[in-house]
Amino acid sequence: MREIKTVTVLGANGTMGAGSAAIVAAFGKAKVHMLARDVNKAKEGIEKAISSIKTDTIRPRLIPGSYDQDLEKAVSESDWVFELVAESYEVKEPINKRIAKARKPGTIVSTVSSGLSIARLADAFDEDGKKHYYGTHFFNPPYKMILCELVTHAGNDKKVTKKLGEYLDKTLGRAVVYTNDTPAFAGNRIGFQLINEAAIKAEEYSDKGGIALIDAIMSGYTGRAMAPLDTADFVGLDVHKAIVNNLYEMTKDAAHSTFKLPGYFQKLIDKGDLGRKSGQGLYKMTKTPDGKKEKLYYDIKGDLFVPVPKFDIPFIKEANRRIGEADYIGAMNIVKEAKGLEADIARYFIARYVSYSLSLVGEVVDSKEMTDLAMGTGFNWAPASAFVDFLGGPKETISLITKAKLPVPEVLAKAKAGKPFYQLKDILDARSLFKG
Amino acid sequence: MKDAVYVLGGEQTDFQRNWTKEGKTFMSLFREAVQDGLEKVGLTPDEIKKLNKQNRIGVFVGNFDAEQYAVQGHLGAFLTEVDPCFFGVPGARYEAACASGSVALDAAQTKLRAKDYDVAIVVGMEIMKTVSSSVGGDFLGTAAYYEKEAKGVQFPFPKLFGKLADVLLERYKLDEKRYMGALAEISRINYANAKRNPKAQTRSWFMNNEHANSRGGEFNMAVGGRLAITDCSQVTDGAALVVLANKNYAEEFAKKKGTKLSAYPKIKGWGHRVAPITFESKVAESKGDKWVLPWTRQTVKDAFDRSGMNTKDIDVFETHDCFTSSEYAAISAFGITQPGKEHEAIEDGVIDFHGKKPINPSGGLIGAGHPVGASGVRMMLDIYKQVTGTAGDYQVEGAKNGLMLNIGGSATTNYVFVVGK
Repeated sequence: MREIKTVTVLGANGTMGAGSAAIVAAFGKAKVHMLARDVNKAKEGIEKAISSIKTDTIRPRLIPGSYDQDLEKAVSESDWVFELVAESYEVKEPINKRIAKARKPGTIVSTVSSGLSIARLADAFDEDGKKHYYGTHFFNPPYKMILCELVTHAGNDKKVTKKLGEYLDKTLGRAVVYTNDTPAFAGNRIGFQLINEAAIKAEEYSDKGGIALIDAIMSGYTGRAMAPLDTADFVGLDVHKAIVNNLYEMTKDAAHSTFKLPGYFQKLIDKGDLGRKSGQGLYKMTKTPDGKKEKLYYDIKGDLFVPVPKFDIPFIKEANRRIGEADYIGAMNIVKEAKGLEADIARYFIARYVSYSLSLVGEVVDSKEMTDLAMGTGFNWAPASAFVDFLGGPKETISLITKAKLPVPEVLAKAKAGKPFYQLKDILDARSLFKG
Repeated sequence: MKDAVYVLGGEQTDFQRNWTKEGKTFMSLFREAVQDGLEKVGLTPDEIKKLNKQNRIGVFVGNFDAEQYAVQGHLGAFLTEVDPCFFGVPGARYEAACASGSVALDAAQTKLRAKDYDVAIVVGMEIMKTVSSSVGGDFLGTAAYYEKEAKGVQFPFPKLFGKLADVLLERYKLDEKRYMGALAEISRINYANAKRNPKAQTRSWFMNNEHANSRGGEFNMAVGGRLAITDCSQVTDGAALVVLANKNYAEEFAKKKGTKLSAYPKIKGWGHRVAPITFESKVAESKGDKWVLPWTRQTVKDAFDRSGMNTKDIDVFETHDCFTSSEYAAISAFGITQPGKEHEAIEDGVIDFHGKKPINPSGGLIGAGHPVGASGVRMMLDIYKQVTGTAGDYQVEGAKNGLMLNIGGSATTNYVFVVGK
């Protein structure tokens, strides 16, 4: 692989494009051609890049340009072309054709696609181009979320993959997760499975608090700083739809039915209520008559926004208290033994998360450490393997999964008792992801 | 020194964590640090119970300001909350501002040398993100002479160490651009080193020489005279634990582990000196002296004298870089250069990770983080790792002997330990 001195970023005006360009210019000290639809948008991207990483020193290395005027010249002098244009074959394939014509042999070309087939996108290129074509799936915002899924396809050269992985890790400071060319790769497949199933359950329990109830059950003690439906609102319901529709279409695993987009999501999307970016979606912030901030949630049955209630669920209070005292096993014991609907839901989702994360080993990734790293650094969710230890080990976890009528992953069935199951302790302290 | 004290190992918390954001308290920090540390060393609750029955074990807690940050005192008693095996174990808290960890280490080694106890568990801890940075800055002001140097001053310590930068510049008639470039390089090195340390606070943060040199403006604000944000260590939550033992127990422990006594490094020398507390009186006292911080230099010399060693014998240093100016002054205090020539060692790569005299391979306070009361213990742990070849990606090749300098206040309380096999 050539030394990466010059990079072209396509889609440089978006948050992901600008943030990624900033990483390459700052950590990689590379000259970056920032390309957008027009040069003014590219200039906006430069300002976003600088403020994302908080250093003006990268400004001289960021060069604005447009697709129409500058693409061929920029690509021809680049060592890496990083494409972050809209998530569809219709947009990406014609651009790839132009890149393919302009690139020099040996130039890396990669896409930030979160769900499209890397092999299909690589088809626009000649033999050398295919060999150097990858998915480099950064997460948003790139400076804070250090995950990069490095997605390979059958046409790649292992030596180039190794070098590129080292560059992303050692130079750009990414947590590199090697994944196969499978739908949504590792992070989004696991993350959006859980989010979408939470959305389905919210509809099922809409008369008991729906969205707000499910998020209250899936709060900090379950190892996530942001609850799943809040996360869907944050990423945008349209983006959520694109990811789960693709997964529903492209996968046929045991969780297949859980990728079906709930009807109320479509209803909100049709109204333009896409989440935080459009002001309202699953949630909405408002002010009470006395000027206090108030969070409302979407009442699915009533089709209106109502205040998020303060749920009084004793086992959650106790689990939170234990987490607050750094007693992680104690907290999981509370969850395991609690009675009632909310506890059943909590146990189901913990079991589902562990079961589904570990079931991807072999198909999407080579080891459980890869799914653990993806969830820990891309979603800030406590990795599945850490749950296994806090639940009391493989045997206890298998029992929880079996009771939830979910598949027991092979890697868990084969695990040896008495040994810590989580192996990334020295890279990622999973305890930090549980919130009391 | 006779009556050797051995370092059996230890552990630190991930200094990137914000325990308040996690909804956890100083007690959770304490609990995780102690549990992890003892597990890493292999000191079991049953063994602690047995040692306590024989009155052979004590606990030494270094902490600066839990009263203000966490509204809690009496930290020496808190291991009892971690595990009942600590019921009855003698324990106390030790305080000397940013050198609190070292004063706890010193108390521990003294008891071991005197054979009052055979084993000492030393914990350093500080939780600092419970308050805003300006309120925290005021708390830290009590490490100086609060009435005279900190009361009503926003961020007093960057200003005090900014003054140190001024005095060094003036005293040695340095070229300002070159000198400030050297300070920026100290920052760059510490951040670069932190990237290899999986427990460092800034391991995913961006820094390079260009950015460290771009002082002033929106992204690297001036905070203390010539010093900008990139010249400062950060507000950090964290704790570290080491277990020390005298020969009576170290031999027993080695046998239990199926290893040799020589597997464990010893504290070969130490120094402890206190300079005048106000920065102004320090400067006045040192006029005409070769070193601007003569008591810091004296502390290093004391440790060398006690160990029978010198600069040439030290393979790796961990120093108190609360600010780039403090690391700059430490270079000559260690004897790596003459005073006023420190920038030459920096420019020549002498103190870099692959240099002849690497300083702060862990990232130091600027890169790894500075949970005030934990820093001294964390440095001891890092020197232990270096001389036992267990520092992983930040291992300095072939390190046999290491030296740590931990200072409290504006270089007021000075502590040095030399550790090696």
